[in-house]
Amino acid sequence: MLNEEKIRLMTGIAMFEKKEGKQIFPQNRFFKRDYISWHLFGAFFGYTVCCLLGVVLWALYHAESLLDELGTDLIFSLVRRFGLFYVAGLILYLLVAAWVGRRRYEYARGGMRVYLAKLKRLEKRYEYQNKAREIAKEDAQHDGASGI
Amino acid sequence: MMGLLVFKERLRAFYGRHSMWIQPLLKFALSLTVFLLLNTNLGYMTRLNHPLAVIALSLVCAFLPLGVLTFLSAAVMLLHLYGLSLELAVTSGILVLIVAILYGGFQPGNSYLMVLTPVLFFLRVPYVVPLVLGLSWGLSAIIPMTVGVFIYHLIVYANQNAGVLAGSNTVDIVQKYTQILNSLFTNSTMILMALAFALALLVVFLLRNLAIDYAWTIATGAGTVVLLAVIFIGNSGAGMNLSIVSLALEMLFSVILAFIYQFFAFAVDYSRTEYLQFEDDDYYYYVKAVPKIAVSAPDVKVQRINRREDS
Repeated sequence: MLNEEKIRLMTGIAMFEKKEGKQIFPQNRFFKRDYISWHLFGAFFGYTVCCLLGVVLWALYHAESLLDELGTDLIFSLVRRFGLFYVAGLILYLLVAAWVGRRRYEYARGGMRVYLAKLKRLEKRYEYQNKAREIAKEDAQHDGASGI
Repeated sequence: MMGLLVFKERLRAFYGRHSMWIQPLLKFALSLTVFLLLNTNLGYMTRLNHPLAVIALSLVCAFLPLGVLTFLSAAVMLLHLYGLSLELAVTSGILVLIVAILYGGFQPGNSYLMVLTPVLFFLRVPYVVPLVLGLSWGLSAIIPMTVGVFIYHLIVYANQNAGVLAGSNTVDIVQKYTQILNSLFTNSTMILMALAFALALLVVFLLRNLAIDYAWTIATGAGTVVLLAVIFIGNSGAGMNLSIVSLALEMLFSVILAFIYQFFAFAVDYSRTEYLQFEDDDYYYYVKAVPKIAVSAPDVKVQRINRREDS
């Protein structure tokens, strides 16, 4: 016979997995510090590549004057300026990335707690059902033995 | 009003029953609009203008997540720009790549706003973007919205300067890059629009979160005022010549769309607001509960009772 409450619980769990699964399960494979570090690692590479692309754009924009005035002094001053810009931007971007990573991890942890609570409820439902079945079986055996 | 609420309930029930095919259909319509607009306004890569190519791309987008539409529309735009001018395609490609790495790296899930914003610009209702995003999204929508504003102005720039960009003999390559970057980043209309949109979204977002009656309506009104104020000040300050009539009409239609969205997303009855007060060991709670307007769609069945014909 169909157990309506169990079906409702299982549907709720399946819906939760479908909606929140992507934002919850991958994060929960990591410890908090590892997850944020992994996030920062990706952010560092992303930012570095973007800076290089930015340098390419800058060089294209100033190509004419660069070709005219290029010399050792200019190269050193440009490298110093870009270095400063890169480091300042990197610190800012990594701070944002760490904040986003931390919030995502905390959201995933909260979601996981809800998910486990739902599973526990379902498990209890199963236990209750099994117990009820055993009691019914015992009662049937008892009734058979006593001949009632 | 009651008729509209019943219509909304019917629409909701209809969507619930048929969401399996309504979702792909809507995605297909959006994708078709995006690719057709790109082909109409750019269309320099003639192979992509073929109706079959447009339909095939739209079909792919219809059955895949919206992020695919963002990716494919960016690719189509870059190919069209390449058909016009290699220099413009390289510049735009680098800018798109920077946005994809810096913003897409966070996997925010709202990258389609970068596509939707230029589409609404082309459909002449751009001001609905900050109003609706302020009501439904948060401040994180400012970035894709601003990128969308940039993309729209990039397409307009390519369209308006096609002759200069395509001519290979007029200026040398180095000068071309300088010219393109100069035009893209010193476009005062684009800067003004980005600023107005960002400020309006911020104001709408802050006001709709306040615990005041009619917060969403007030937020929409305030957002409209901010948009108008920034555009008027910028228009007179920077000496631009925006058409007041078209601005007023676009704003009017945008506000109407924002109110339609509000009607569907946030219908509450402030006249039945309840104020509760209770406490636990740590806090006193002052709760304001505003009931949602709930109307059940009438299920009318007409049964005809005919008089029995005497045989």
